[in-house]
Amino acid sequence: MSVFSNINREARFLVKQRYFFALLTIVLLLSVFSVWSGISETNTQLSTIERLQQKDAIDRANVLAKQSDYGSAAYYSFHLTYSAPSAMAFAAMGQRDIYPWKHRIRMLALEGQIYETDSDNPELSFLGRFDFAFLISVLLPLFVILLLHDLRSAEREAGRYDLLIATASKQQRLWLSRASVLCAALAIALLLPFVIGAIIMQAPLVSTLQVIAVTLGHILFWMLLTLWFTASKVAVKQSSAQIASVLLAVWLGVAVLVPVVSDIAIDEMVQSPNGGEIVLTQREGVNDAWDLPFADTWAPFIATHPQWKNNTEMSSQFEWKWYYAFQQVGDQKAAALSTAYRDATLEKNNLAQRFAYISPPMLAQKLLSSIAETDTLAAMKYEQKVRDYHQALRLFYYPLLFGAAELNEAQNNKTKVKKVAFDAKALSKLPSFSTFKNTIHTAKENI
Amino acid sequence: MSVIQQVTRDEWRFWHRTKLAATIIIIGTLLTLVSGVVNTLEMQHASHEREHLQQSAQAQFLEQPDRHPHRMVHYGHYVFRTPSALSIIEPGVDAFTGTSIFLEGHKQNTAMFADQRQASGMTRFSSLTPSFLLQVLVPLFIILIGYASVTREKEAGTLNIMITQGINVWHLLLGKYFALVSSGLLMLLPLIVAAVWASINGESALITSSFVAGYILYILVWCGIVLAVSAVNQKNSASFAILVSLWIVLCILLPRIGSSSAAAIAPSPSKLEADFAVKAELRKLGDGHDASDPAFEQLKKNLLTKYNVDKVEDLPINFRGTVAQYSENKLTEILNQFAEKRMQEELEQAYIARQFGWLTPTTAIRSFSMLIAGTSLETHHRFLREAEKLRFDFVQSLNKVHQDNLSYEADANRNKNADATKAARVDAANWQVLSEFSFKPDTAQTRLLRSAIYALQLLFWCGLIVLLLRFAVRRIS
Repeated sequence: MSVFSNINREARFLVKQRYFFALLTIVLLLSVFSVWSGISETNTQLSTIERLQQKDAIDRANVLAKQSDYGSAAYYSFHLTYSAPSAMAFAAMGQRDIYPWKHRIRMLALEGQIYETDSDNPELSFLGRFDFAFLISVLLPLFVILLLHDLRSAEREAGRYDLLIATASKQQRLWLSRASVLCAALAIALLLPFVIGAIIMQAPLVSTLQVIAVTLGHILFWMLLTLWFTASKVAVKQSSAQIASVLLAVWLGVAVLVPVVSDIAIDEMVQSPNGGEIVLTQREGVNDAWDLPFADTWAPFIATHPQWKNNTEMSSQFEWKWYYAFQQVGDQKAAALSTAYRDATLEKNNLAQRFAYISPPMLAQKLLSSIAETDTLAAMKYEQKVRDYHQALRLFYYPLLFGAAELNEAQNNKTKVKKVAFDAKALSKLPSFSTFKNTIHTAKENI
Repeated sequence: MSVIQQVTRDEWRFWHRTKLAATIIIIGTLLTLVSGVVNTLEMQHASHEREHLQQSAQAQFLEQPDRHPHRMVHYGHYVFRTPSALSIIEPGVDAFTGTSIFLEGHKQNTAMFADQRQASGMTRFSSLTPSFLLQVLVPLFIILIGYASVTREKEAGTLNIMITQGINVWHLLLGKYFALVSSGLLMLLPLIVAAVWASINGESALITSSFVAGYILYILVWCGIVLAVSAVNQKNSASFAILVSLWIVLCILLPRIGSSSAAAIAPSPSKLEADFAVKAELRKLGDGHDASDPAFEQLKKNLLTKYNVDKVEDLPINFRGTVAQYSENKLTEILNQFAEKRMQEELEQAYIARQFGWLTPTTAIRSFSMLIAGTSLETHHRFLREAEKLRFDFVQSLNKVHQDNLSYEADANRNKNADATKAARVDAANWQVLSEFSFKPDTAQTRLLRSAIYALQLLFWCGLIVLLLRFAVRRIS
């Protein structure tokens, strides 16, 4: 009962505070802007994907119609791959402006294609976007500090402190309920636009609740920290501004210094091959093959694809099956480097996750982008899906190029393998990315 | 004059006594110093690494064995962008753009391997670059040092005493202003040292001095904001709350809102999407690999008349090489047209974001600093253009070798048998066509001209500060 009356009194008291309302209005406007720009960005990405899908389908149909052999069909036809933003992406754009979320690939060596980035305007990425996650992770602590730092000292400076203490039944409860009311108002200003945005985007209820939980948790952390500090002995002698300076220093430490120092530490802890080396290795592997004896290509290819060992005969100096075999071998040569590169990225991400535990703002940001599936991990998943899809393309074309049916027939009749006949209808069964599921679990080992 | 000096000295004495301000000044100076050193080492490492990679890429190209010239067109070449001298202070977009490009025939690839893609993702908000510290954190430090410079005197009642003693309010404020500016300049000291270092390393003195001047203006603006707010308020706490709110809005919010607005106002289609339009255009050109493509009929006719022969086999040159040259030329025209359009769109977005410099001095100094340091979008675009020029040159030179040094017959029969394939090769000495690539930032004059408008934004802010201070003086007296 007394808690309720406390809160009631505080709420009525607040209505009269001009400064408080100004701050709350600004927070509300910022939240509205962040949600609006997030939704607009998500919609742009979604409609881009939709347009790309249409153009991609038309383009491929055009290209395939002109081909008269499977090798050229594979060489000239590109396939769109993409990773659509989740319904929650509007709240946290995360790493989507740095990692690619769309690629067009073909059946050539994948290592030469996958690092191409169709990235955003670098200057805008450098300036940084203003999304809801930024508001929650970086700015929210500042709002809490601005609201709560003079909880006691303002009363002290106004000369009301002793009177207040005398009228309140329990001191702790008074400050706690006053801080709770302030923070609840802040939370409503922050979350209201977000919830509306989540409804518009039809975000899943679970992730919406998760985002709300992260927000409330982060507010709670800074509220308790501020309350604890303002109640401490050190703060009693200090003015409002001095208390706020100390709290700002804490914010500076966890929001700026910890991330920067852990970034340097992570770079030192994880050794990663230079990306340039991967593409150079792959290029040498592929280009050398033209000048090497055919056997040098077939040996490593057959080692990973023994089912074609009886069909490596060459009837001319150029055959598509040999061409794609050395593309595959190029990937195989770069595989160790490429895996090390990806492992390093994952390792860095894991370490960053751990370092984030000492920086609540970083933790909030990581959690939000993980809920929104826009973090590094999501980008890596997309890359793996592209790799698996590329593998599926290879598995689709190899029987056509090597002549699986013809080979069978030849073996049964004990005759020589006939030339592979081209049948445009076979291409209608090409794997499509939009319906593609990661069914090849061994893809990583195969590549 | 002596009054001003007296006030300045008093202010310093006060900071010394209270420790808080002194601590902040020391922390601020140390932070910029450490970041300057760390960044210099990192940039030098990157610079050496990229130079080394560039040389080895060049050597690898030249070491290739005898080949069919078109194989070399597809073998391609890598170019790397070395960072500019001032990037030790202002790395700009460097970490967000790829720093290497693969150059090959018939294609314009995008830059690969941006540093941020391999980073831990921790440095999206803050980074340990001197530019971030100076643009974002130093204003906060100045606020912490100076928010009470006038309100303190008001709360203690000393301001009224001084005024009744006949002290000129302008002198009082200027004295405090100079004290605040001197503390800001202390934190700027590492930047000045780094700028001198860049001058020694070959950056033009005009550039480095304008660079430093820009940052001094920025410090002047923030000191002015802090002093004016402190002068118009009655209480320390009010002055503090207003200044911190201003800092959040000006240093953190507006630049980002600028960037988000630019993306929303002028969305640019992705390169992938533009590529479909490019492909549609290219399809009209015909496939340069296929000399019998009907698109080259006219070219063939012209050549046959020119050399007065009936068949392409009788031409003194290799018609396949001619077609390769012709189609690469046409194709590059189209590619360049689209690439230019894309760069233009990116620049338009950047311009929108930069206009926020009229709303916040932080965006003004950021644009100024990037443009002067040569780490802006414009420089990246120049890198793309120069890489493209190199690509076109070596591809066309190889196509010319294809046309002049390889017979049509040997070329046409190259897939018949192993010997024929060998016969369809040219000597490796022909690979010398590759010219050396070394990327230099824009000239001092270009960079100064480009940044002029952002210098104007900073001056506009200085003017605003003068007005603000006059208003404050009137309020006090």
